[in-house]
Amino acid sequence: MATMKDYNNDVTPNWCPGCGHFSVLRALQVAAAKLNIPKESLVVTTGIGCSGRLSGYMSAYGFHGIHGRSLPVAQGIKLANKDLTVIAAGGDGDGFAIGLSHTLHAIRRNIDVTYIVLNNQVYGLTKGHTSPLSQKSFQTKSSPYGSVEAPIKPGILALANGAGFIAQGYSAYQEQLIDIIVKAIQHKGFSLVNVFSPCVTYNKINTYQWFREKLVDLDKQDGYNTNDYQCAMNTLVETDCLCTGIIYEEKGASYIDLVQEKSALPLTKLDLRLTSQEFSRLFEDFK
Amino acid sequence: MKKNISIMIGGVQGEGVVSTGMNLMKTFSSLGYYTYGNRNFSSRIKGGNTTFTIHIDIEKIAAVSDSVDILLAMDLDTIDKYMHLLNQDGMIIYDSDLKPDIPIVKALKILPLPITTLCKGLGAPTMKSTAAIAYIGRLLSMPMDILSSSIRRRYGKKGDDIVAKNLEILAAVYENQDFSWQMLQLQLLSPQTAITRGVMMGNDAIALGALSAGCRFIASYPITPASEIMEYLGKHLPNYGGMMLQVEDEIAAVTAIIGAAYSGVRSMTATSGPGISLMLEGIGLAGMAEIPIVIVDAQRSGPSTGLPTKHEQSDLFTLYYGGHGEYPAIILSPSTIEDCFYETQRAFNLADIYQCPVILLSDLTLSLSPQTIDNLDLNKVSLDRGKLVTEMPQENTPEAFNRYQLTSDGISPRAIPGVKGGIHHVTGLEHNEMGRPKDDPINRRSMMDKRMKKTLSLDEVKEIEIFSNSNSTLFLTFGSCFGVLKAAAEASGNAVDYGKINRIKPLPRKELEAYFNSYEKIVIVENNYNGQLSKIIKSELDCHNKLRSFVKYDGNPFTIEEIIKEMGGAY
Repeated sequence: MATMKDYNNDVTPNWCPGCGHFSVLRALQVAAAKLNIPKESLVVTTGIGCSGRLSGYMSAYGFHGIHGRSLPVAQGIKLANKDLTVIAAGGDGDGFAIGLSHTLHAIRRNIDVTYIVLNNQVYGLTKGHTSPLSQKSFQTKSSPYGSVEAPIKPGILALANGAGFIAQGYSAYQEQLIDIIVKAIQHKGFSLVNVFSPCVTYNKINTYQWFREKLVDLDKQDGYNTNDYQCAMNTLVETDCLCTGIIYEEKGASYIDLVQEKSALPLTKLDLRLTSQEFSRLFEDFK
Repeated sequence: MKKNISIMIGGVQGEGVVSTGMNLMKTFSSLGYYTYGNRNFSSRIKGGNTTFTIHIDIEKIAAVSDSVDILLAMDLDTIDKYMHLLNQDGMIIYDSDLKPDIPIVKALKILPLPITTLCKGLGAPTMKSTAAIAYIGRLLSMPMDILSSSIRRRYGKKGDDIVAKNLEILAAVYENQDFSWQMLQLQLLSPQTAITRGVMMGNDAIALGALSAGCRFIASYPITPASEIMEYLGKHLPNYGGMMLQVEDEIAAVTAIIGAAYSGVRSMTATSGPGISLMLEGIGLAGMAEIPIVIVDAQRSGPSTGLPTKHEQSDLFTLYYGGHGEYPAIILSPSTIEDCFYETQRAFNLADIYQCPVILLSDLTLSLSPQTIDNLDLNKVSLDRGKLVTEMPQENTPEAFNRYQLTSDGISPRAIPGVKGGIHHVTGLEHNEMGRPKDDPINRRSMMDKRMKKTLSLDEVKEIEIFSNSNSTLFLTFGSCFGVLKAAAEASGNAVDYGKINRIKPLPRKELEAYFNSYEKIVIVENNYNGQLSKIIKSELDCHNKLRSFVKYDGNPFTIEEIIKEMGGAY
């Protein structure tokens, strides 16, 4: 059996001490070990920002691309080689500002990729700017008088757009987060894991303490049914999206299952050459 | 007897003008003639005037004549707007229902045809296209059985009823005795060899070239004039295990193919100028992370939305200099349909060999103008995947794969996900040999040098093709301009040499230098305001006294006459 250490490389993360992202990195490594994913078959794509560096701290194939585009890169990888386990990760700016459109389309496209959002409701690496997930009145260098824009609610947005797996984790709830990531990877289709991952340097509002007081743990809610769409929506509304656990899951065919036979080869294994007969047949169409 | 004939078909957009033209082209191509078609259309689905001009010849040609022999009008606009294009002894034929007011011009033949009446009479008002083709066939003395076999081939899939109805229309036209056909008939010379050839436009050849090159993934966003490439591959790739993905925007297109190409699949996208603008950051990532992608840019008039259905070649600066920062990229510039096929295959090889973005630069006229083509050779371009590593001899230590190993040619071995011992990190940040972020100046310099030197060896490859070789002036161009240039040079009695440049980046400097030494004057012919290619050449070579720029930027390709005038010849 693999252990968490197998997915850990010797690079020291450049995150601030106490950053929530350490916990997300560890949870992903433990989840990969629990699922015994061969590390050469694990690909982690990330966007830009503090969260973007996560792919560089995994002993796996890592792809640190451009801002907001971890999802299209991840989808291209999965479509190219369906035998790989593909994780996309990024921050709240990555997934809900510059890359929001990709998030919505990844949800409706339902390619089997797990998307982990390291959500700290602030732009940290630019040294403190407001994020589309920052709450109203949040003061930063780019919102000196307090943000007046309403924050996006990732859970409701994903649920409304037909996501087949939506979960929320919290950096301080390590065991729950590991369990969520394991199940998200196992889910056949697109899975969204929104993790409250506090920024200890630039977000003095949404702190560990703040989350500890506000978050409702769905695992402790008696009889919470993760297959109940209406209940999921109600829960998100009632908790103002401040809940953790698997919020909603629904089994369905993933994109690749819908466009290819189960027995189809991964694109990486295809014969690239056409036979002369095939070529003649294709050419005949133009006559 | 005529060596060639030129027909312009005009009518309301969306009412069969293009299909009429295409059917005629395919029919003549099946007899051994060469044809070339040029579409003129606007950015709307239905309505408005559209024309399709067809040149039919016994020799291969990649341009339409400036004037036409027959104007077939399915609407009044066509007569008003294009009657002046008719040759002195030209013929105007039109649907008699139109009742146009045509000025009497000496020698001009005017022939109203009961197209609508005939079709309505047979209960097939939507089959006007077949009636029009039949009338043209009769005017050009084509035997009826040629057209009936063409109809069977064309409509066979739509069912026997449809075929029968079309044949009925054809027969009715051929039985019509209302006109003295003998007076009007035009006689074309027989084709040199009576063989059936195909009709393709550039986008068809690019798509077929991609399929033949082993491209198995395309992510694209529909755009004029590039959509046919994703449409063709979307239809055919699944038969070969591949996929077309219609994405949310061009940024997703370029980054999805980056993901697929990184994973080892030959991948491409196809777009036009607006899409290129959106893709630039992604193209830079492919440059930095050394990922082999192929991007087709079928250029149209810019900037912004510009003239979305009109021709231009104005993306050179953007592609040559564009994207922030500096990275190697290759720009191939096919000029003929055959080029589109073979150069697309070469593009995939170059991408794999040099591990960088390769841009296949087309233009609206090249991408969308159908023409008769000779057979294509599937095996002319062999497959070369460069330093791709799909398995390791023995498992290396996990962190040891130097994806960006410093080598003498700057090109490093490329392992793909799934390969044991090939694990590495890829990033758009500056990185070390292992692909890990590194920002010290010594590393930065060696990595910049490594990437930038990768394509240096391409300077040895011959990329300019010159025709005729006997004059002191060379007219050099790229893209669809070449077809017009060739026709003009031939029409002017080869008073100048003419040629095409197949690769714009890296610029074939050595070769150009030699030509600037051997020619007194080189005229660069291109469809943009700035003379972008000539400025690029000027910036890289000391040739100011010999280089002239000849440009056109009104949304239309050059006419043969315009080029002949520039060559100094009379028309």
